[in-house]
Formats: sequence, C-alpha cells, structure tokens
Amino acid sequence: MDQNNSLPPYAQGLASPQGAMTPGIPIFSPMMPYGTGLTPQPIQNTSSLSILEEQQRQQQQQQQQQQQQQQQQQQQQQQQQQQQAIATAAAVVQQSASQQPTQGASGQTPQLFHSQTLTTAPLPGNTPLYPSPMTPMTPITPATPASESSGIVPQLQNIVSTVNLGCKLDLKTIALRARNAEYNPKRFAAVIMRIREPRTTALIFSSGKMVCTGAKSEEQSRLAARKYARVVQKLGFPAKFLDFKIQNMVGSCDVKFPIRLEGLVLTHQQFSSYEPELFPGLIYRMIKPRIVLLIFVSGKVVLTGAKVRAEIYEAFENIYPILKGFRKTT
Amino acid sequence: MEYQLYRNTTLGNSLQESLDELIQGSLNTDRFCDNVWTFVLNDVEFREVTELIKVDKVKIVACDGKNTGSNTTE
Repeated sequence: MDQNNSLPPYAQGLASPQGAMTPGIPIFSPMMPYGTGLTPQPIQNTSSLSILEEQQRQQQQQQQQQQQQQQQQQQQQQQQQQQQAIATAAAVVQQSASQQPTQGASGQTPQLFHSQTLTTAPLPGNTPLYPSPMTPMTPITPATPASESSGIVPQLQNIVSTVNLGCKLDLKTIALRARNAEYNPKRFAAVIMRIREPRTTALIFSSGKMVCTGAKSEEQSRLAARKYARVVQKLGFPAKFLDFKIQNMVGSCDVKFPIRLEGLVLTHQQFSSYEPELFPGLIYRMIKPRIVLLIFVSGKVVLTGAKVRAEIYEAFENIYPILKGFRKTT
Repeated sequence: MEYQLYRNTTLGNSLQESLDELIQGSLNTDRFCDNVWTFVLNDVEFREVTELIKVDKVKIVACDGKNTGSNTTE
C-alpha cells in the first residue's frame, strides 16, 4: 500500500481532463467506469474509458511493470487491490448509480488507492478471486436498500454461565459463614449466594461446580463468577477458576409497532407456535442461528438461547423484516 | 407449602431483590440455613406509636413458625 501515497501519481490524476481525480475527495466522477473500482487512480486517467479499454490498457501497463524490480511486491498489492476491486465492482454493479457517490464516500475509497494498474481480469494462475481478509468493504451482497438494517439493538438482560471451582465444597460451612447465602438441602442441594455488584445469583454445588445468573454482560458474568470464587476461597477452600463458559444469553427489544401474530404463525408455521390461551407470545424457533424468540402483539421481542452476543443480533436482524411484514395497520 | 424451590428462578430472584429494596437498602446480609433465617440490617429505625429507636446494626434471627415436623437443629 506504500505506492498509494506517492505524490507524483496524484498530480497526473489531477491533470486529467475527464476529471474528479482529486485525492482526498471521496467521491468519484460519474464518468468513471464502474469496473475499475470507486476511487480515482492516481497514475492513469481512467475516467470516461470503457471497462474493456481500461482492462486492455491495464494489462499492457501491467506487462511493463512485470519487468521491474518490484514485481512481486506489486503483484501482491495488486492481488489484494484487485480482489477489493472485484468485490467492489460486483457490489457496484448491483447497486444503483445514485448510490455510488454515497458508497464512495462511505470509506471504501482509501483502500482502493493504488498507483499501479488495476485489472479486473484475473492474472493467469496466481490470483485468488476471494477478497483478502484485509478487505474492509462489505462483501458481495444481494442488492438491498440501505434501510434494511433495523437500527434497533437488542439489549442483553440475562447471562447464565458456569464454572468449575475444582474442589469439593462443604455447603453447610459456606452457608453459615458466607454473608448472603441460602442453603436448604431438603429442597435444593446447592447454596444460593448473591452479590450486589454485579447484581447476580450463584448456585454453588458440593462438587465444586457453580452456576452464575443475572449478569447483563459477558464481562460482568465473568467478574461475578470470579467474585463468588473468591468468597469460597476466603472461606478456606482451594478454589480455582476452571472452564468458565457462558451457557445462555437473553436479550430483548421493541420493534415499536404492533404485530399480527396470527398471520405470522400461519406463514411460518414450521418455526412458530402460538397458543394465546396458553401464553400470549408467539414462540419462534429460528434455525440459523439457533435462537428462540418470544414475539408479542405489542412489538416486544425476547431472544434467548444464544451462546454469543452476535447470535442475538443476527437473530433479530433476521426476524425484523419478517415482523415488518406483519405489522398491524389498524 | 414449600416454595423454596422457586427461590432461584427469575421470579424468585426478582422477589429477593424486591425484599432487599423493601428494606430500603439497609439489608447487610441474609442467610438461610437449617430452616433459620438470619438478617443483619444497618441504620434501622424502629417506630412505635410513641417511641422511635434508631440503631446502627440489627441482627434478626427467625425460625419457622409452623411446626413442619423437621428434626431440631443441633
């Protein structure tokens, strides 16, 4: 990427009559062929050329460059940029022309700056066609309007995690000496302990295993579990902190419009179960990701069953367009 | 009726938190072992019709009122 910042190529770009080659301005001229990517290319004058001419010219220039000493370096950069360009080209082709200026301004510009040729045709034999991991732009997606993302972020309400303290525990000792502990072996064979910060509850079993519930984030759950482990440790047990794992995450949000649950259960019957006489919410079991959603007439949605936060977000982004389709209009 | 099984459900936890808040945040510790509840409260006002007593620390030890037939504690 070093060649991208070299100054002389910029001047050439500026001098081009077909325009919009100004570096730093993240828009591109409508006359630019969309096959070459969204940004002005500093060396060559690429605007107003057809893609084919552009590719031919680039290939010629590329052959010339292959004779230079920096051949390998360039090829690596070209491959990366080419992959970016391919991705961008495909993305641009699928987007409407009016969106291009905004897309250009959205930050894709800097990564496509390159001072050497860019060809959209693959080099024979040695170019992977998939974007390199450093490709920052959106991958090739089906044409979707910009309003597709819901703009609503589910809030985490509860995290359940488990950890192994690695030693046998005497629950009666813990219950009698710890500060906020309940132990009723006739009812439940574990000590129920609570701490104020983060406000959580733990079930501590005589095997040394512990369940921690009530935290609002992954980090809080881990911190709380460590606090419980420290309490047990201070009571004289050789407690460790083994295999901490988040088992379940619960999130909730509000789509802000009423929903026709009857319609939803009719069209998505293989995923939904709705028995208003049993429970007022529709139970939607999403396959991918494997999340269960409770959907209510009011528009409130509860998502549960996640092992990671991203599953909650992904499940909500999946369900939101479906819910929009069942918005109550009366 | 034995409802202690439900103490660690979501509802039970919420009720427990409500209990804490009901004591206006002055609950220091609570313990339940051998069917005996022990509470330690701080900065408590005991108000009777004529009298007002303020204390820094109160320990409440409470046993089950009903005779559940369980064995006596040692």
